[in-house]
Amino acid sequence: MQENPITRPIAELSADLRLGKLTSVDLLENALDRIAMLDRKLESFVCLAEDARVQAAAADREIGQGRWRGPLHGVPVAVKDNYLTADMPSRAGTDAPGVHFARQDSAVVAKLREAGAIIVGKTRMHEFAWGNVTPPSKNPWDLNRVPGGSSGGSGAVVAARIVPVAMGSDTGGSIRIPAALCGTVGLKPTFGRVSRAGIVPHSWSLDHAGPLSYTVADSVYALNAISGHDPKDPGSARTDVPDFTAALGQPITDLRVGICRNHMFDNNQPDVDAAIEAAIRFYRDAGAQLVEFELPILAFGLGAIFAIELSSSTAYHSRNLASGAVTGFTNDVRTLIEMGRLITGPDYLKAEQLRRVLIDDLARVFADVDVIIGPTCPLTAWPIGEWTVRVGAQDESVLAASWRLTYPWNLAGLPAISLPCGFDSNGLPIGLQLAGRPFDEMTLIRAADAYERGHGWKDMHPKL
Amino acid sequence: MNELEMLVEALGIELENERRSAVLAAFQPVAQEIAKLRSLDLTDVHPAVVFSVMPANEQD
Repeated sequence: MQENPITRPIAELSADLRLGKLTSVDLLENALDRIAMLDRKLESFVCLAEDARVQAAAADREIGQGRWRGPLHGVPVAVKDNYLTADMPSRAGTDAPGVHFARQDSAVVAKLREAGAIIVGKTRMHEFAWGNVTPPSKNPWDLNRVPGGSSGGSGAVVAARIVPVAMGSDTGGSIRIPAALCGTVGLKPTFGRVSRAGIVPHSWSLDHAGPLSYTVADSVYALNAISGHDPKDPGSARTDVPDFTAALGQPITDLRVGICRNHMFDNNQPDVDAAIEAAIRFYRDAGAQLVEFELPILAFGLGAIFAIELSSSTAYHSRNLASGAVTGFTNDVRTLIEMGRLITGPDYLKAEQLRRVLIDDLARVFADVDVIIGPTCPLTAWPIGEWTVRVGAQDESVLAASWRLTYPWNLAGLPAISLPCGFDSNGLPIGLQLAGRPFDEMTLIRAADAYERGHGWKDMHPKL
Repeated sequence: MNELEMLVEALGIELENERRSAVLAAFQPVAQEIAKLRSLDLTDVHPAVVFSVMPANEQD
């Protein structure tokens, strides 16, 4: 067996599994060895599946009998702790007594199992997906820094090359922020593309499910497996699901790349701005057309997402408020849930009006562009315990800064991807964000894959 | 008593004094952003909220 096969992308693993050059059991043992060796430092798994070896042996039998299910068959993947699972407890990041979740597979976990993936364990998240840090998980590039969040455990285990795909959820950036801070790919599909049934809700109209992965292609294999209409999710869309792998390896000479010069470039760390400008030049040099524009409505976006997210979360937790269970929550999450009661009905509806304007304004922009490019985060991973950092010309709350460039795509529900695009002067990863038209993940993937193929960032791993 | 404290009273939100101070302090930056939102005239914009007239179990 090759050394550390689990560190290779899915296309390679899948080919070897199918040809019998590698077994799922061996691949799983490699993942478990790396968990034993690395997760003492990373603290990113909260639970491992007791039946993982049984799952892997079953995959080997099926593949051996010629019943290959697809690229994920026999490949270990992890899921965030807010995805319900039948074979493992779910805690959604909370230790509070009196809060219980069903022991059944969420729709995404069921689809991953159907695709033959080995669900190896559950990853750490911030309590109820609030916030953009994931204590006590560490960033594999610097163990003194945060991995981001709220899917921070998923970001850390992918960056540490423990599993090629870990599922996350994204309400204001919770897939893309840890992807950017940990140097992985993170894909938030269009709202409605992937079912949230069986994922502990945070904010019903903002929550998205999606993968973090080694490569763009790895996210594509996961997206192919988990997409599709689900009547159990009221937000699920009735729309065709293409084979997203068709977008891989395609040219981008006809691509129109939009650059939103307000908001997205207002106040970023200089190394972040430099990396994104280099990425923009890559697209220009590859023949893409660059289109600059401004979106003034973004100046009002933060109030809108606050109003929707706070009121929704407080509504979801009304039972926990009434029972007093919130007293067992971490202090910051309890405060946010208690605070949501201060959002008025008109505030909430005005936020939904703002959302309508944003969606319509973006539709006009997308008449002239195919993707919108910018940074995922204005800053790189910050030291654990630090609450303000220098961003651009001013000191800023890390929590306020970190989701500034991601939440617009949750408000609009548009697909967005973060992928590595370089490192800052401290050797910390920088994330490039691309966003696309509703349900046009194909163009998004084509643009991201072309950038990834043109650079070597995906082959740079943290030394742990 | 400021506007937020009056809102807490009017809504009948039960919070111990210490919690009330913490929650109101944390809400200040949020309130500033929501004040910007309130300043927008969106009278003619239908909110991005839809519903189905069918019961939940008949929406497929």
